[in-house]
Amino acid sequence: MTFRERLQAWRYNLVPDHAIGEILQKRWTDNAIPFLALVIVVAGFGSAIPGFFRLVSLQDSTRQLGEFSLVVTGLTVVMLGGGIDLSVGSIFALSAFASVAAFFIFHLPTGLAFLAALATGLIFGAVNGYLIGFLRLRAFLTTLVTFIIGRAIYDILVVSFGAKVQLSDASSDLWDFIGDGTMAGLSVSVVAALVLAVVTHVALTRSRPGWHVLAIGGSRRSAHNAGIRVRRMVFLTYVFSGACSACAGFLIATRLSGAGPGTGQGLEILALTAAVVGGNSLGGGRGSVVKGLMGAVIVLVMTNGLIRLGYGTGTNQMVLGLLLAVAVTIDIRWMKNRHKVLNEVYVAPVYLKLGETQSAAPGSGTPYELNNRLSQADAIGLGELEGPEDVILDRDDHLYCGTRHGEIVRYFAPDYTRSEVFAHVGGFPLGLAFDRAGNLLSCVGAMGLYRIAPDRTVTRLSAETRRSWTSIVDDARLRDPNDLDIAPDGKVYFTDSTKRYDAHDWTLDSIENRATGRLLVYDPATGKTATLLDGYRYTNGVTMAHDNRSVFFCESWACRIHRYWLEGPKVGTAECVIRDMPGYPDNINRASDGTYWMAWLGMRTPSFDLSLRHPGMRRRMARRLPQDEWLFPNINTGGVVKFNDAGEILQTFGDLTGVSHPMVTSMREHKGFLYIGGILNNRIGRYKIEGANPDWTANDAYWGAGS
Amino acid sequence: MIFEPILDLFRGKAITIPPLDGALRANTALDEAAVLAGLPAPDNLVWQDGRLLCSSGAAVLAIEGSTRSQVAEFPAEVTALAAAPDGRLAVASDDGRLREGGIDVPLPGGIGCVTALAYGPDGALWLANGSARHPASGWVVDLMEKGATGSVWRRAPGMGFAREAEGLAWPCGLLPDASGVTVSESWRHRLIRLEGGRVTPVLRHLPGYPARLSPAPGGAWLAVFAPRNRLIEFVLQDVHYRRDMMAEVPREFWVAPALRSGQSFLEPLQCGGIRMMGIHKAWSPSRSYGLVVRLGEGLAPLSSLHSRANGRRHGVTSAIEVDGRLYVAARGGDAVLTLAGDA
Repeated sequence: MTFRERLQAWRYNLVPDHAIGEILQKRWTDNAIPFLALVIVVAGFGSAIPGFFRLVSLQDSTRQLGEFSLVVTGLTVVMLGGGIDLSVGSIFALSAFASVAAFFIFHLPTGLAFLAALATGLIFGAVNGYLIGFLRLRAFLTTLVTFIIGRAIYDILVVSFGAKVQLSDASSDLWDFIGDGTMAGLSVSVVAALVLAVVTHVALTRSRPGWHVLAIGGSRRSAHNAGIRVRRMVFLTYVFSGACSACAGFLIATRLSGAGPGTGQGLEILALTAAVVGGNSLGGGRGSVVKGLMGAVIVLVMTNGLIRLGYGTGTNQMVLGLLLAVAVTIDIRWMKNRHKVLNEVYVAPVYLKLGETQSAAPGSGTPYELNNRLSQADAIGLGELEGPEDVILDRDDHLYCGTRHGEIVRYFAPDYTRSEVFAHVGGFPLGLAFDRAGNLLSCVGAMGLYRIAPDRTVTRLSAETRRSWTSIVDDARLRDPNDLDIAPDGKVYFTDSTKRYDAHDWTLDSIENRATGRLLVYDPATGKTATLLDGYRYTNGVTMAHDNRSVFFCESWACRIHRYWLEGPKVGTAECVIRDMPGYPDNINRASDGTYWMAWLGMRTPSFDLSLRHPGMRRRMARRLPQDEWLFPNINTGGVVKFNDAGEILQTFGDLTGVSHPMVTSMREHKGFLYIGGILNNRIGRYKIEGANPDWTANDAYWGAGS
Repeated sequence: MIFEPILDLFRGKAITIPPLDGALRANTALDEAAVLAGLPAPDNLVWQDGRLLCSSGAAVLAIEGSTRSQVAEFPAEVTALAAAPDGRLAVASDDGRLREGGIDVPLPGGIGCVTALAYGPDGALWLANGSARHPASGWVVDLMEKGATGSVWRRAPGMGFAREAEGLAWPCGLLPDASGVTVSESWRHRLIRLEGGRVTPVLRHLPGYPARLSPAPGGAWLAVFAPRNRLIEFVLQDVHYRRDMMAEVPREFWVAPALRSGQSFLEPLQCGGIRMMGIHKAWSPSRSYGLVVRLGEGLAPLSSLHSRANGRRHGVTSAIEVDGRLYVAARGGDAVLTLAGDA
């Protein structure tokens, strides 16, 4: 091994590249950028301004922050529903004026002043909501209009009644407490903002109306088609936003005990910036209250900080504008490209040097030498079947197989020309096995372990195992359950091939070659699934040894067969029985003469073997080329191989023409015939085995000659 | 957008190849064409004295109707043929020798890889030397080494060979006219024109590796012997993998263009080439392909004949038109095909 190759092996096998792709899959990565911005802004201004974190200074800032957060929370909800509300500033100002007028001019109690503010907000919100939700006007223009009108009314009112307010002698302890007091160190506005944020967050993530809002923002038409009352929900979001602004208006009214011409000026831009900078999508459907709060803190710290550093309004507006522009750009680019980035970084290949193998080429004289015998197999279901990964026969000689449509299809003996859908499971039924009672058990790709009773009822047996400690993406879920076999005590031994790819992307796992395959056992007595072995390169076929003392399973991408001991001195451990085969093994099943059949799903090629030693090359390939162009193992040629308990290769069958059985993923011996399946094939093959016991069936071998 | 060049630094630039579109839109004309003769690896076609001559391995065969007869045999594989106006046949072979009318022609040093021969209207003999490092049969090595040591030579009547251009990346097709010559420069996927010592590209960004050129009314026929493939272009850029592949993997199993593919399970396979439900997709990426392009005025492509990834008439190295009929040598498909010339 050259020094460079050794370096590559270390680099790619020790650095967990796959973590990047898995972390990017997490929804919370959306919060990462705004959170980073928040930390930078707070740290930056905190260190630039002396006394920034002093209590008095914070107290004042947080009061302002509380009011602002209320407005942003309301706006966030509107934006999540796919709208926009520019009138928050004028609603805020009018509500403030309403409560000030109620309190100072009409000498009403504080509670009624609050209700006056709230009513103002609700009325304006309802106007917005009616126009946008029910009359379906454009949100931007409509709220712009209400913003202008509201502002105009406010200006008129302030000019006419401002003096009256100033001359009033009304006072109330409650009013002053709301404006100046604190509860356990927190001002009323902060408490109000927090309560509202929590309630809104819970409502959005855990309640029906919240989901409806998100669904409408995600896709209005789909939401409508799903039966959501889109117009009413949109209406309500604006009402909610109006109410939030009204609360904030009431709070500022109590804090300032008055209303001046500047109240709420420019608030809509601040709030919009905050919502977008926090990471709420302008298109709707994506975002959260927490994001809105983060944005609110960023914007407020920034504007206040700039003022305290001595910058004027112009600079402040400029910075806000730039911030908004950057946020919008990142939002759109990230939305558009997130899945592309994920696609490009997800495949994280590792280094593997496969051992030298014996040739399987015809004429090579090795035990693996492939021939053309499978091309003589009779075709069953040609042109009807799609993707029979595994095949199995019952005691009445009927033939069952899964299809890529998620069905278990049954072909009727004796000629296998008639068929029916035995059961619809969904997913992609892969490995099959009959238990003692004649139930058909199946490993269903992307779903789990299922049981289909003779009366066709489908029951899920297992879909998860214990999560491992180091997993980033939850690996308790079975991602690619592949093959199974059943022990005499009823325990089901089965494989989950990879934690990294879904069942339909199983071929991509060969490019990555990361060892994440598992051997699992399902115990029908407890209904629990346990992980026996982890860390194999695509665990695939499983079969009970003839003496039931061990389980054979294969590791496809490493071209190996292992034996896992269930009893005896090596109980609980696995040992490699066959290594460095020239083909990639798939299902394993018993043969009538006390040996085993193994399917080869594909053949190693020298160019792909070499690429396994060049993980960097495979990584670049995955990033720079579309998937159709990637170098693959040759899975256009497969075969069937017979081996014995000692791991000796006895016989090999192939189809070098590639017409009938290019890829073989399973085979099942039954009464002297071999039934051959292929996950990408369009038929089942039926091949007469020379010299095989014409009476042997797997059901008898496993469960004794039954009725 | 503006982020792309920055992102490219981290993720690598996407590799793209020209699409098969416009005049090069895919069809199955070559697979549907009539077989004139099935013979192993037919390479260079020439028309002489009312009969079609074809090189096949070390032999030159004459094809007249349904009969075939051997005209000559050489100790090494024949790599290029040309028929002189006076009836002599120029034959180059893989051992680096050139014979004209059966007589050895002395070649200047540096010529050992004759990939194409052609007589100009003035009687001058043009010669394309694919590489200074490898024989014609070692073309795939020259490509994977990114060779650019080819040259084009001209022998004016009564004179010796003189070099017209050098530093070419595998020139392997010649189309002389009164004032110069058009050369297909394979590894750069283009046709160039040599005139008065100047090299100017005339047709660039071909979707394959161009081979021999032949005259046609108002234009020319261009045989394209292998397709460009994004994986292969990627491997060409990946120094370490390519070097190890050339050192350790048998040549026929390289990730490299080929005249035929799918013969052995040891050949590389690309994801798109996986057989699905018994179907080998025609548009799947392939190491080999069959393509003949009809070029019109100014050598702009007019139309094309294809044998796609699932076809068999791959590796076309030569196509000539005689009296309105087109003859195509599919070297990878082991057949000489014939079609109407306006196909």
